[in-house]
Amino acid sequence: MVRQPAVLGRARGRFSSRLHDERTASWLGVWLAVAFGTAFVTGLISHFMQHPPDWLRWPSRPVNLYRVTQGLHVIGGLATIPLLLAKLWTVYPRLLQWPPVRSARHATERGLVFLLVAGALFQLVTGLLNIAYWYAFPFPFTVAHYWTAYVVVGALLVHIANEWSKVRRTVMKRPEDGIDRRGFLFTVAAASAAVALTTAGETFSPLARLAVLAPRRVGTGPAGVPVNTTALAAGVSATARDGGWRLTVTGRVGRELSFTLAELRALPQHTERLPISCVEGWSAGATWTGVRLRDLLRMAGAADDARVRVESLQRGGPYRKSWVDPPHWKDPLTLLALDLNGAPLDLDHGSPCRLIAPNRPGVLQTKWLNAVVIA
Amino acid sequence: MKGRLKGRVVLHVLGGAFILLGLGGIVAESEPWPWLVWFAGAAILHDAVLVPAVLLAGALTARLPAAGRRPVRVALIVAGALVLVALAMINSTGRRPDNPSILPLAYGRGLAVLLALVAAVTAVRLLWNRGRLRNRVRR
Repeated sequence: MVRQPAVLGRARGRFSSRLHDERTASWLGVWLAVAFGTAFVTGLISHFMQHPPDWLRWPSRPVNLYRVTQGLHVIGGLATIPLLLAKLWTVYPRLLQWPPVRSARHATERGLVFLLVAGALFQLVTGLLNIAYWYAFPFPFTVAHYWTAYVVVGALLVHIANEWSKVRRTVMKRPEDGIDRRGFLFTVAAASAAVALTTAGETFSPLARLAVLAPRRVGTGPAGVPVNTTALAAGVSATARDGGWRLTVTGRVGRELSFTLAELRALPQHTERLPISCVEGWSAGATWTGVRLRDLLRMAGAADDARVRVESLQRGGPYRKSWVDPPHWKDPLTLLALDLNGAPLDLDHGSPCRLIAPNRPGVLQTKWLNAVVIA
Repeated sequence: MKGRLKGRVVLHVLGGAFILLGLGGIVAESEPWPWLVWFAGAAILHDAVLVPAVLLAGALTARLPAAGRRPVRVALIVAGALVLVALAMINSTGRRPDNPSILPLAYGRGLAVLLALVAAVTAVRLLWNRGRLRNRVRR
């Protein structure tokens, strides 16, 4: 048996705060379970909206559903940072327990706790860096963030199974030890609230002026709407300005169609209020004017259950084209927009023509369209 | 009792399956080694740098007079959370000359204002505590 290093024993004896206890850890654990549970569900919604399996048809309503779920995911995730750090501080003495492992079972248990701690920190760190556009990590964000979520939730389920009786015992009992846990928990909640209040305005516009730490601000960008990919970054600066631009409707159609911009503008125009809701959590409501996608597809004689692909002038990139399923293309709110907030689309917003649809991630609101293809 | 045991087993199996699914996905679709560096690195940095720094702050603030300790610690916790988020925006390498709508704000100034606000609230609380203490002595 290895003797405990003296320094470890001394260090452990000096955790004088009585907040390093089960009841504080339990309450923070309950909050964290809710926070990570919410992030997991909203994260899956976002993932499967962008990569829907064949059997899944997302509804086009409620219009703001994705805006809300992704806002919850990102702002809720930011507010989770103080919670997680407080919880880990509370249980920190257990990191130094001696002996480090007592048995194979104990080693497994600690290994799973390591997965939970490292995974939870990994998700919050990569998530924060990603919304800050700080790509310090060498791997693609979405893939790593998505798969790590399963590791965290799996380790969390095991952790809940192991700690459930302890949590029940300590949370259900009114303690009479005079420790001011309420003050500490209130402080942690205040830190979470401070983070949420200074960022939420990037998606909840009544709080926009408070959002001094948010990576986006409604009202900035062309026509007052923020931009993710500019025409320059997408490599379409020249092609999108080309006077010979045409929008074609092809594929399994009764008759193929081709429009100049003037011809598109001569079709019945509709004006709708729809948000751009980015996967990075920000959103901006805007007024869009253009042709209903469904009008165009009916003109072309598309089948009622057709899947539609809209394609961009972009040469490559994962978001060069996107699929529009029947619930979305049949929705009268789904437009091939030509105007934004009363003026012709800015080049960076997808001029001459872009898709805008309700309840849809921003990356799938394909810009600089030149083709609609019926599959 | 038996039901609870069954629940535990179910959660363990389900949890284990999720973990394997996630790790399998990382190996198959992401870059496992850089991922591992960041995954373990997050825990190591947290345990070896962040928490010791917090413990040090705790030990230092323990020397404050009792009436001042709480407000100062509350201020440090709230300010610390704001600093972490602000640092990501301030140090970000994501600004692009063609896209001024990315990170459009002066985040250093925003953080300074927020910290000043936290400091002001804390100062008011400290003065308030002192006033109350003095009143108690007078009575």
